[in-house]
Amino acid sequence: MKVLLLVLALQSPDSLSVRFAGMTAITGYEQAMGDSLLALLPGATRDRLGNVTLSLGRGAPKRLVYCGLDEIGYVVGNITDDGYLTLRRVGGGARLSPLFDQQIEGQRVTLFGTRGPVPGVVAVRSTHLTRGRPQPGEAPFTVDNAYVDVGAGSRDDALALGLSLLTPVSLSKRPHRYGDRLLAAPSAGRRAACAALAAAALKKPPVRGTVVVAFTVQSLYADTAGLKTVVNSQGPFAETRGVNVPSKYPDTTVETVSLRDVDALAADLVKWIGGGR
Amino acid sequence: MILLAALLAVQDTSRIVEAQSVLAALVESYGVSGMEAPVRATVQRLLPSWAKTETDTAGNLWVRVGQGDTPVVIVAHMDEIGFRVDTINADGTLALRNRGGFILSLFEGKPALIHTDGRDIPGIFLPRDSGFTRRLPPPLRVSVGATSRAGAESLGVKVGQTITMPKQYVRLAGTRATGRSFDDRMGCAALILALRRLDRAKLKHAVVFVFSTREEIGLEGAGAVAHRLGTGTRRVHAIDTFVSADSPLELQNFAVAPLGQGAVARALDNSSITPPAYVDSLAQLARARSIALQIGTTNGGNDGSMFVPYGVVDVPMGWPLRYSHSPAEVVDLKDLVSLADLVRAVAEDW
Repeated sequence: MKVLLLVLALQSPDSLSVRFAGMTAITGYEQAMGDSLLALLPGATRDRLGNVTLSLGRGAPKRLVYCGLDEIGYVVGNITDDGYLTLRRVGGGARLSPLFDQQIEGQRVTLFGTRGPVPGVVAVRSTHLTRGRPQPGEAPFTVDNAYVDVGAGSRDDALALGLSLLTPVSLSKRPHRYGDRLLAAPSAGRRAACAALAAAALKKPPVRGTVVVAFTVQSLYADTAGLKTVVNSQGPFAETRGVNVPSKYPDTTVETVSLRDVDALAADLVKWIGGGR
Repeated sequence: MILLAALLAVQDTSRIVEAQSVLAALVESYGVSGMEAPVRATVQRLLPSWAKTETDTAGNLWVRVGQGDTPVVIVAHMDEIGFRVDTINADGTLALRNRGGFILSLFEGKPALIHTDGRDIPGIFLPRDSGFTRRLPPPLRVSVGATSRAGAESLGVKVGQTITMPKQYVRLAGTRATGRSFDDRMGCAALILALRRLDRAKLKHAVVFVFSTREEIGLEGAGAVAHRLGTGTRRVHAIDTFVSADSPLELQNFAVAPLGQGAVARALDNSSITPPAYVDSLAQLARARSIALQIGTTNGGNDGSMFVPYGVVDVPMGWPLRYSHSPAEVVDLKDLVSLADLVRAVAEDW
């Protein structure tokens, strides 16, 4: 009984929101989060792009409900002779806040290397040595000035840690609960939406016709290639629903969602899957 | 991550293991200037069992060893940079006052902890809502999720409480580590490690080890100690950060002390100048004990400078630190071992 209660608790929208918000799935490099979803959702499959889908029910009508699981992030762009790693941003484009890259300056990051996660930090000028900088009007920090320090003293040291060009890099995630059921984390809105969708699917609701539950990749890159792949390979769909949770402070490290909204969304999705509105 | 940590641990010497265990406990204690009690408690827990401590009215923690009336003072500060709750606004947000100097943008839009006598209250440093093309934000505010002053107060928030960002000691590759407040928990760790190995029978004079308060807001704790001991101090050693230019972002015209190459004599900074003969004596002592020592000049002030007006020579010593006063400071544990050995040597042989 206790084990059952524990399993149910771990599959609650609250718990899944915190878990998903702690994961990293940089656009195009969503493999690890896809693995977690496959383990969480019995019967789910993954296509060649990395979309994870779960088909519920059978027959007509065939409907699609989806969330984008990816996030804007970075990959290693180069490794210097003295062991620092420089970065290339993935995703974002023109709509990105000029302050987006500044969020990693002087913070801890995680590099997802071939030998496992490697902690590092993004270098920042020492306060004591700034000598009057930054000036009040100075432009924000950008990824072009990001040097990741993993403690390596040479390029070979960095390579030996399992790091190489294209290793995914993100802020080290520490989902942070505060106030009255508020959750702050990078991409909290997107992850909470996926958590609500997963929680609804795990409830095994009655289904009207067929519902394809999709966790799509590359939603922030290449013209939503992930979603289009699902539509083209598993459609046509009589109805399509993308899920979202309202968030405050979007695209910041403390993007905040209310877990009450996640509960409400999960309940609404259960109804929708069953054919209700 | 676990496998990597295990591999690193196998490579560690027992000295590195001990240094890390002391340092990690200190770094994961919170103590903004004026609210150092949690750090003081951690220091007391880590000291050798024979050490008798005294806390003065300024909050400084003293450990006296040896005999005599004119002690050598060795001082490291317990406090860290952060914020203080200045006002609880009508909309429930908190207006802040900085405690110490740092780049404000490093805290903007990050998780926050409001420190109380009991459980910490979680919140967030609010991201700015204008001025997106400038690096520096307007004065930061914190939200605890409340929408009114009464709501914030009902969560336990009070004016005067201190605020920081959650922090964690994290091991990097080799013997490197990252975290926040290595400045000056490395100094505190060096004193503790030196005391653990100190041969008290060798002392030729009294030595007072001081864990000081409120360094970041004007060397205030050390000022109280200097006032009390005055001209009767034989010599003072501030054990504090050597802010290093060993970084791709720094000018290389001074402060270039590479990490991992040992302790650093902070011979010239913004608060004191060590007489060259004393620097030479320190270098001789290090050579005699086979302790790695670098000699350099950097920016910042140090607690020992509060003794200089009493005619006391200040011989500050430190270790190279990258990215000072940021949430991602980086150190090398080998330098901590070297510094602890040097502190011990100074107490026993100089």
